[in-house]
Amino acid sequence: MAGSETVIQEYPDIAIRLNVNGRDYVVTVKPYERLIDVLRYKLGFTSVKEGCGRGECGACVVLMDGKLVPSCLVLAIRANGSKIVTLEGLAPEGKLHAIQKAFLDTLGVQCGFCFPGVIIATKYLLDRVSDPSDEDIKNYLEGQLCRCGSYLRFIKAVKLAVKYIKEGKIYFDLKEVKG
Amino acid sequence: MAQVPEYVRIVEEVFERYRGKPFVYVGTYRQRWDAVAKVTGKALFTTDFLKFYKNVVWVHSVRTKYAHAIIKNIDVSRAAKYPGVLRVVTAKDIPGVNDVGYVIPDQPLLATKKARYIGEIIALVIAEDPYVAREAGDLIHVDYEPLPVYTDPLQIVDLDTLKEKPHTRIHEERDSDIVAHFKIRAGDVEKALKEADVIVENKYRTPMQEHAYMEPEAAVAIPEQDGGVTVITSTQCPFDARKAIARVLNMPQSMVRVIAPFLGGGFGGKEDVANEIGSKAALATYLTGRPAVAIHTREESIIGHSKRHPMVTWYRHAAKKDGTLLSVEANIVLDTGAYASLGPFVAWRATVHATGPYRVRNARIDTIAVYTNTVYSGAFRGFGNPQVAFAVERQMDILAEELGIDPVDLRLKNILRAGDRTVHGQLLTEEHGVGIEEAIKKAVEAADWYNKRRLYTRQTGPIRKGIGIALMYHGNSIGVEGADYSSATIIINRDGSITFRTGLTDMGQGAVMGLVMIAAEILGAPPEWFRVELPDTSSTPDAGPTVASRSTVMGGNATLVAAYKLRKRLNEVASTILGCSPDDIEIKAPDVYCRSDPSRKTTWNEVVEQSFWLGVPLQEFGYFRAPKARWDEETGQGEPYITYTFGAIVSEISVDIETGQVSVDKIITAYDIGKVINPIGAELHAEGGSIQGMGYALMEEIIHDINGVVRNNNLSTYYIPTIKDAPEIIPLWVEAGYKRGPFGAKGLGEPSIVAIAPSIVNAVSHALGIRFNEIPIPPHKIYLALKREGKTRL
Ligand code: FES
Ligand code: FES
Repeated sequence: MAGSETVIQEYPDIAIRLNVNGRDYVVTVKPYERLIDVLRYKLGFTSVKEGCGRGECGACVVLMDGKLVPSCLVLAIRANGSKIVTLEGLAPEGKLHAIQKAFLDTLGVQCGFCFPGVIIATKYLLDRVSDPSDEDIKNYLEGQLCRCGSYLRFIKAVKLAVKYIKEGKIYFDLKEVKG
Repeated sequence: MAQVPEYVRIVEEVFERYRGKPFVYVGTYRQRWDAVAKVTGKALFTTDFLKFYKNVVWVHSVRTKYAHAIIKNIDVSRAAKYPGVLRVVTAKDIPGVNDVGYVIPDQPLLATKKARYIGEIIALVIAEDPYVAREAGDLIHVDYEPLPVYTDPLQIVDLDTLKEKPHTRIHEERDSDIVAHFKIRAGDVEKALKEADVIVENKYRTPMQEHAYMEPEAAVAIPEQDGGVTVITSTQCPFDARKAIARVLNMPQSMVRVIAPFLGGGFGGKEDVANEIGSKAALATYLTGRPAVAIHTREESIIGHSKRHPMVTWYRHAAKKDGTLLSVEANIVLDTGAYASLGPFVAWRATVHATGPYRVRNARIDTIAVYTNTVYSGAFRGFGNPQVAFAVERQMDILAEELGIDPVDLRLKNILRAGDRTVHGQLLTEEHGVGIEEAIKKAVEAADWYNKRRLYTRQTGPIRKGIGIALMYHGNSIGVEGADYSSATIIINRDGSITFRTGLTDMGQGAVMGLVMIAAEILGAPPEWFRVELPDTSSTPDAGPTVASRSTVMGGNATLVAAYKLRKRLNEVASTILGCSPDDIEIKAPDVYCRSDPSRKTTWNEVVEQSFWLGVPLQEFGYFRAPKARWDEETGQGEPYITYTFGAIVSEISVDIETGQVSVDKIITAYDIGKVINPIGAELHAEGGSIQGMGYALMEEIIHDINGVVRNNNLSTYYIPTIKDAPEIIPLWVEAGYKRGPFGAKGLGEPSIVAIAPSIVNAVSHALGIRFNEIPIPPHKIYLALKREGKTRL
């Protein structure tokens, strides 16, 4: 036990390189630090939410080298050198991605805490299945918990996003949406 | 006769004036004000603010290892010396009152003498880093003397007599572990029993339900230059949190500022725990002079915040052959866990609703709330009503079965209609809006009830279908539970934009959007012109707690009053510009014109600008207080609530008799909410409430082992519905206007869950011909019941 009182200070600082939403960052982390905390607190990408810290709720999912991962279960050092996409990076500044627009237009926003994860998971789905069935949507979004119960709207939103994308509308001007 | 206050007259006048007229904004589908922020990830929830602060300290709560034990000694010396630890805090470091009890002062912030449940906090570790704080917490040594652990309320009281059994007192400072007792005594039950043709008597149990909002509780505290503290915290009741924190810090409330940012769900759960976590962060800031953050992990959230009260109850219904209800009796035991929290209020609401939305002339109801060593129970969407509604609606179905009457017909025979008195003797009139009959008819028609009920009665094969109905009513606002007031501020800025402030929080279901739509309708300016300022005790008015589905009615009335007064002034200013009378002014911003001659027109901005020149103030404070509720403690007679929301739910299910797996196919909800102000908000409530109610019926239950340890303290063991469970949901509306609601509106927040579980269980019972009197009914329970009755081959 005596040793454990000093051990904490011996954890080294490690510099890692991350590409988040198209920009390169070098951050210093402890070996025990999680990717979610680095994204949220060191880099300010607070769209990444923590709902459980155990890979159970889907609130923290990000795309890491194209794969959907719960960032609460990834050690920051394991993410070294990877490309990460969070909700902030889904569309260029001032624009909305078709998926975001579809989630707006289906009026399903409640508390919104689950939305970043749900939208990122939808992106992952549509990157793989361009015209998903209800079954596909449910399979891909099953890990995204929403306690406010907007699930039925998610299904509608994914379908609307598919429609927008098919029509070639990938980005929407944020100003028009608000107006 | 007391004088009718001005604000009541305004609400009634507006109700009459707008009745039957087309609305411009109210009742339309609109994007909510915060939607863009929420789909772009810009919406800031409590912990997101951390990115703006430097030099932050982390607060970790050290919790008890025993659910019931005497604390003999707490030794923090090793933890205090751990590198990176700034301070270890125990009760003696609290400058003010060591209590965060909500209704009664029974709950210490930090335990001193006793641990009463597994989430009890013994000490706080303040450290530079969350990991360090947690590691140091493990070095705190506590000497305990374990006591017997009670996890079932029937270990404390007897269901038949409702008397306390011999046991080791959990709250030794009180003279009983029964926290509250409420009664209804109406008519002559003995006589009714003698006249009865059928008597149905059963016991029911409902589980401890977890809110499982997606955002666990959190608080960020920031020191202020004058020694005060600002606390950003996930709370439904910022003014209550401020009161609690000020007491803990021994500061005047003016020195404590509480900001409630976006909430990642609340459902009633973010009331008392917000006082606790806010106090923890504030205390750390007070002691270190640095910004402090406290974040509960999911496990801490589950073991450390209030739950839905588990209920054990006995009911007896008596009826005539033709189905007329003669009497209802009930003994209701609510397990409030280690602390009272809002338990007494929950018990009261359960009592008021204990006979359901029916004409009941003879009743004897006794409800008690008792302490146990489980996680404390408090407010949760429905607030005592879902528990009793489950029992009552099961009773009605069983009664129907015994009488050979269709469940819908039995209900239609007994429901409350305008002109009837409730079991409390409250006369319901057209002014209250009593739309339950219409709700039943709408739901039954949409469901094709009679056909399906017949069709599903004789089935073979592994998949059996069932259809069930349940009714509910729900008293609006808080009744006799507390000071029932609300307020809102509207400010028209010089550029014509509008600032809207209320101290009511939006838990996510869009209540605030409804308020904006009310203001927009009265002012004549589109909802998009409003900027909502989230609750901040330094700038938003105290609107009372955001509980009891009171936002739309109480907050809505306060908003309406503020908007009305502003509109009056705008009309007068416009009248001086245009030369027609103030009553003739029409505002359809940006246009303002004379109704009698639309060519005489000006603009919204011109009217606003002129108001500034003329010295007409364009900020207004709206206030509304509900008429006083009446309640006789001995008989339960009076007028407990200002009005009631009514509802009828029909659920259709399929059950696999080889596995016991139920899938809910469709839920039809028909609610009488007086007037639909914000249709999308209402639909989302109906959907979300249905899904949460489905979880309550089929899968959700917090389980304590015999040592009082929570077995399922995370989301992989506490199941909530996923997208795969979500059934088709058809929301229908009845608008039996309530004269003292904004445009006739009533509340929907809590009602949306109340009758879901019984409608589902009634459907399962229908499909299988087996009576289920306990929830939840997960597959294994259904399977065992099928097995017991020889109804499955496997
Ligand atoms: S926070 Fe990562 S899955 Fe819940
Ligand atoms: S919108 Fe609240 S959790 Fe999904």
